[in-house]
Amino acid sequence: MSLDILTVNNLDGGYEVFIGNRRVFVHAVDDVSLTLHDNEVLGVAGESGCGKSTLAKMVYGGIIPPLVVRSGSISLVTRGGEVLEMNKLDIDTIRRKIWWIEISYIPQNSMNVLNPLKRIKDQFIGVFKYHNIEMDKNEIIKYLKDTLTTLSLPPEVINAYPHQLSGGMRQRVVIALSLLFNPRIVLADEPTTAVDVVTQRVILSLLKEWRENNKSSFILISHDMSVHAYMDNRIAIMYAGNIVELGNTFDVFREPLHPYTKALIESLIRKGDKSIRKGLAGQPPDLINPPPGCRFHPRCPYAINICRAKEPPTTSLDKDRYVRCWLYANPR
Amino acid sequence: MIEDKNWLKIENVTKLYGYGLLGLKKFKALDNISLNIDLGKPRIAVIAGETGSGKTTLLRIIMGVVKPDIGKVLYKGYDIHKLKGSASKWYRKEVQPIFQDPYEAFNPLRRIDTYFYDTTRNICGIKNRNEAIYRIDEALRFVGLSLDRISGKYPHEFSGGELQRISIARALLTSPRILLADEPVSMLDATLRVGILNILKDLKEKLNMIIIYVTHDLSTAYYIGDDISIIYRGTLVEHGPISKVYQEPRHPYTNALLNSILEPDPSLREKYPAIKPSSLELKEFLIMGCRYANRCPRAKEICWHTLPPYVDVDGVSVRCWKYLDYKIDYSS
Ligand SMILES: Nc1ncnc2c1ncn2[C@@H]1O[C@H](COP(=O)(O)OP(=O)(O)O)[C@@H](O)[C@H]1O
Ligand SMILES: Nc1ncnc2c1ncn2[C@@H]1O[C@H](COP(=O)(O)OP(=O)(O)O)[C@@H](O)[C@H]1O
Ligand SMILES: [Mg+2]
Ligand SMILES: [Mg+2]
Repeated sequence: MSLDILTVNNLDGGYEVFIGNRRVFVHAVDDVSLTLHDNEVLGVAGESGCGKSTLAKMVYGGIIPPLVVRSGSISLVTRGGEVLEMNKLDIDTIRRKIWWIEISYIPQNSMNVLNPLKRIKDQFIGVFKYHNIEMDKNEIIKYLKDTLTTLSLPPEVINAYPHQLSGGMRQRVVIALSLLFNPRIVLADEPTTAVDVVTQRVILSLLKEWRENNKSSFILISHDMSVHAYMDNRIAIMYAGNIVELGNTFDVFREPLHPYTKALIESLIRKGDKSIRKGLAGQPPDLINPPPGCRFHPRCPYAINICRAKEPPTTSLDKDRYVRCWLYANPR
Repeated sequence: MIEDKNWLKIENVTKLYGYGLLGLKKFKALDNISLNIDLGKPRIAVIAGETGSGKTTLLRIIMGVVKPDIGKVLYKGYDIHKLKGSASKWYRKEVQPIFQDPYEAFNPLRRIDTYFYDTTRNICGIKNRNEAIYRIDEALRFVGLSLDRISGKYPHEFSGGELQRISIARALLTSPRILLADEPVSMLDATLRVGILNILKDLKEKLNMIIIYVTHDLSTAYYIGDDISIIYRGTLVEHGPISKVYQEPRHPYTNALLNSILEPDPSLREKYPAIKPSSLELKEFLIMGCRYANRCPRAKEICWHTLPPYVDVDGVSVRCWKYLDYKIDYSS
């Protein structure tokens, strides 16, 4: 039995924003339940605007307005075996005990988070200071060079300023930074979306190697199903704030159940394929005012009457495989 | 010259950029690039290479907004960097660009339709409002939209995929001969890419246009392309019909680009060959010989200090010392 190190139960939240002077709620995460096992990669897939990044922010505990969590819980089992209810902790405790050490976060578009006025080594030293870690400067530099080599970065990078590095190189630096204290969980939000295919391959294979050596777990967010096919042990498909399907990666790719999962896989242009394809028409709904029933029904080729009227239940198929679609709901 | 009337000729173009503290030292962002495009043959010519290869610089030189330090670009026999007044306006109608980031292409505070009215009035010289409306609607319909759909709206009211369609429609207003498409799908969700690429294909097939498609992703290149030029750190390393290049990549770099493509199939995971990451971009630009020597699994002494000549290998022009026993291709 694999141990669950992170459990998300019925998490619900979004953004409270104003349109003119009308207060509205962007329901970006709607009743999400997930578990993360020890030593695994759990992927979260889905198009832009489906709530993936919002889910990541909520799990990380970096909740700042207009983001609000309305209900649900997140519990984390630390390295020391302590069980923490993340949403009951104050931000100082989260910062001190969890961030970087238990959970590291690589935010979307992170290649631009480096401070332009500081050399790479000083950015890293900043993180040591933040954690009140007493270390001799030479020791830190040696440690940094080691960390940078896990991402195959040349050691001279530590003396560079961010603008002297290419985007792909900066992305690797940010990732190296996130791995600095060997976190147990890495939350990676689209870590390779802004880089070219070659850099993507390099980054993903280095991350894979690091994870296998450290037996850490990843929550890997990406809109690109090929990235999930390469990296994940299990994959969750998110649409309009809901997890619509979850399962072992091999099972999901062999037999995608939800029509949305099928569409995500089929819309990809494959290597060596010139046959004309059709993408997935339309786009995810506005989460201020999502469609009734199944949120995918306006784009779904299989939609029937009930899909337009009632939200589908979650149907469990096997252990660790479920789908949220009327086509698979048990008749009752 | 009569024969020049039907060509876009890029002749021995070299572009130098400064580096170092004061930018006094120079590197060759493009090194002696020559390419000829027959204006009589509708086609999709692909320029491929990873980030930092000089692709955008080359497109900007073709657009006329960046001047080469050596060499020239001839369009129908005219040196486009010497055009003035009405001739320069004519060239701007003939060659239209679309960019990588659809959100950056439009001012967020400006209504989308005003871009269209401006282009018809100022660049196409259409003064009659009804005629302008007709032209605009026609262009938008070609990309699956309509004037009604965009009227009165601002950029944030559209998805990335829609904005990219809107960019293409605007480019079509001037009835250009050539569309320069700089990584038009790399910022889009995988589900939206096919739709845009199908439009580029339609431009070629239905409007007989020539598209120069820039990308780092050879699977999209293969999907729509006719021929391909692979560039690495400013040098052209392989050029030929895409089917040949794809089936049997000659240059080791082309091979790396192909091997970087991830596929939506988890059973292939263990089968991807290893790829060496790039080191500092500038270091590679400054290599005297083959710029890829640093990453090439088969690099020999000569690769480091002498740039190989072009060699014709079964109808594909390639620049790699491993083909030295083939005859040298003086035509390139
Ligand atoms: N700061 C914010 N304020 C208001 N709405 C937001 C904010 N950030 C994201 N959203 C909205 O929340 C929804 C989900 O966004 P996000 O979590 O970023 O999705 P994804 O990561 O899947 O692309 C979208 O409709 C987005 O427009
Ligand atoms: N205006 C400029 N000044 C100095 N260097 C530049 C300038 N524009 C681009 N470069 C450099 O030239 C190289 C090629 O850039 P670019 O043409 O944008 O490549 P690509 O589009 O293939 O990513 C990069 O190293 C880039 O940093
Ligand atoms: Mg996101
Ligand atoms: Mg570019």
